[in-house]
Amino acid sequence: MMDDLPTYVLERDFAAPQTLVWQAWTDPALFSRWYGPGAETRVVACDLRPGGQALVEMRWGGTAQFQRFDYTVVAAPNRLAFVQVTADASWTKAPVAHQPDWPQQLMTDVTLSPNGPTTHMRMTWAPHDCSAAEVAMFRASMAGLGRGWGAGMQLLDQVLAELQG
Amino acid sequence: MLPSLHLTELEGPRKRLLTRTIQLINLLVMESHLHSAPPRLDAVFTALADPTRRAILLRLAQGDASVAELSVPFRISQPAISKHLKMLERAGLIARGIDQQRRPARLLALPMAEAAEWMQQFSRFWAGSFDAMDDLLQQMQSTKDKGENDG
Repeated sequence: MMDDLPTYVLERDFAAPQTLVWQAWTDPALFSRWYGPGAETRVVACDLRPGGQALVEMRWGGTAQFQRFDYTVVAAPNRLAFVQVTADASWTKAPVAHQPDWPQQLMTDVTLSPNGPTTHMRMTWAPHDCSAAEVAMFRASMAGLGRGWGAGMQLLDQVLAELQG
Repeated sequence: MLPSLHLTELEGPRKRLLTRTIQLINLLVMESHLHSAPPRLDAVFTALADPTRRAILLRLAQGDASVAELSVPFRISQPAISKHLKMLERAGLIARGIDQQRRPARLLALPMAEAAEWMQQFSRFWAGSFDAMDDLLQQMQSTKDKGENDG
């Protein structure tokens, strides 16, 4: 059942009009400038329509990660949904290195709504057509973030900030 | 559903203890070569998905303790504590002393640091990315404003 899937929800406001936030998500030249912190991101191909795909390559240090976005909803400038597929260098679905149980397919659903001069974004991230082990892995990670250890993680962030500051 | 452990619900000493534990984890995260470590996250997450075992870990962060010493504050039978300790030991989160009588349990922080690092990954990925998007949107707007003023 869909309701049983662990879902990561991220809400954020951006001090920009909705059309700009939409562009930042969908224009390959702009998207590659923010997606993947600390990584050199390249959008190799982008076919922005339901059923179309984007091929995203991220490189940092000596590693490369390949992601394929299989678009399911493209409704400018309100909603963008795609299955984020972990891939190998030939853009075929493949597990992430060292983490065989990390979900290979995550439904990423982005909703944008105008909020005065700013834009509210709500993004959900949930396993899509995944094995029980992948769902369990995502759920365990979710549990770590959202509950219990979540508070500890915030604290860890603070400590990290203090140590770096 | 997992029971939650919120910092706000903790009293002073426990909060300080948790803070210290996290600082310790943090140091280990920075100093260890995590990517070369063998994957044992499943065992760690399974071990952490239980309130008693998390409480045992917090207690051990204060110092080593035997099964008998642990069973008193948790009001749980010694065999039940032993069972929890076995799971923690299997996950590599604790080590047991060689003293045949007491076999005190000792906290090993590295596997927990690996789990913390793993859990951090996607949150950090998105948070870091959207910080970058914030910057980009500001640049786009100032470029646009400049263009409008020029024209």
